[in-house]
Amino acid sequence: MGVTCVTQVPVAEGKSVQQTVEMLTRKLELLGAEKQGTFCVDCETYHTAASTMSNQGQTGKLMYVMHNSEYPLSCFALFENGPCLIADTYFDTLMVKLKGFFQNAKANKIESRGTRYQYCDFLVKVGTVTMGPSARGISVEVEYCPCVIANDCWNLLMEFMQSFMGNHTPGVPSVFGTKHDSIYSPADTVVQYMELFNKIRKQQQVPVAGIR
Amino acid sequence: MEAPPVTMMPVTGGTINMMEYLLQGSVLDQSLESLLHRLRGLCDNMEPETFLDHEMVFLLKGQQASPFVLRARRSIDKSGMPWHLRYLGQPEIGDKNRHALVRNCVDIATSDNLTDFLVEMGFRMDHEFVAKGHVFRKGIMKIMVYKIFRILMPGNTDNIEPLSLSYLVELNVVAPAGQDVVSDDMRNFAEQLKPLVHLEKIDPKRLM
Repeated sequence: MGVTCVTQVPVAEGKSVQQTVEMLTRKLELLGAEKQGTFCVDCETYHTAASTMSNQGQTGKLMYVMHNSEYPLSCFALFENGPCLIADTYFDTLMVKLKGFFQNAKANKIESRGTRYQYCDFLVKVGTVTMGPSARGISVEVEYCPCVIANDCWNLLMEFMQSFMGNHTPGVPSVFGTKHDSIYSPADTVVQYMELFNKIRKQQQVPVAGIR
Repeated sequence: MEAPPVTMMPVTGGTINMMEYLLQGSVLDQSLESLLHRLRGLCDNMEPETFLDHEMVFLLKGQQASPFVLRARRSIDKSGMPWHLRYLGQPEIGDKNRHALVRNCVDIATSDNLTDFLVEMGFRMDHEFVAKGHVFRKGIMKIMVYKIFRILMPGNTDNIEPLSLSYLVELNVVAPAGQDVVSDDMRNFAEQLKPLVHLEKIDPKRLM
């Protein structure tokens, strides 16, 4: 996977989530990007059950289990500021077996779904982030496919994002900071989505709820 | 030309319950060569395959009486292979006529930060060992003949000593639940290995 930046775009003043998504996708299409199917990134939250906590004397931890449609046969399991495990999809079956120790906070399930666009060497995914039935925000993922070293192509990524995101172009993602010259991996993208989802969960709900 | 669209729904883990059917036996070191010779004749024609694996067994203790056990296995001699995480359930209490030990199993391939991740989840390593031996295949049956080595210093897989003067022989099949005909095929194959080795259904509980 090429170096990827995942960021949140705020809902435009006076518009709904869906209208803002349409504004972004229209800009992309005007640039010349081609639609290439859809994508989905979802995140489930597990917390350690009370029974395990009392034995180990530690505070409960949150574990996130995520899927990315770009890697349909994989499952990503991670702790905030902790390791990110990449496993195959049988990991979900294992979590079912572990339900006495890790409880699935079903209400916290959050996902981003939308369209994939290709523009030359860039892959752009604009998604509506939903939690349950309500739309909570917009995620934009931009990947520069030919490069796998984060610091080598950040400037190019930023310039491309400015062409359709304008003022909403983000700064350097925090995962790039620790990368130095090591190869970018799909786990880094998933960590960025986890950070974005956590930020969105804390934000106030978008006043115009619901997806049309 | 438009590329085919990526699936919208991510493919989530199969809910098919896989079961492991197992028969075990052992041979003394001096009988190893004749057993390998017979297996080469009976099994599928393939390049002789040896393995050197390091397995760590992790436990998660909760308020339940029995801790949750997970096995993490990695290849020492083959580079680039994923780590193998395995869950094995309690043996099914079937009728006495069932020829093999049957238990639920979940096999997961993972990245190599598995041990760090398990510790973060709250698991602690209970014991570890090195397994070195040969693997054969006949259809969906897998036959392993291997020696278990004790690790003298934790984490150092170069300093090992054999646990016994024999090789463990295992015949196993992983198949979806309900395919009891598998154990008949296993019994028939095991017959062909007699008297070199007697493969039987060994209930781990009875050994404890």
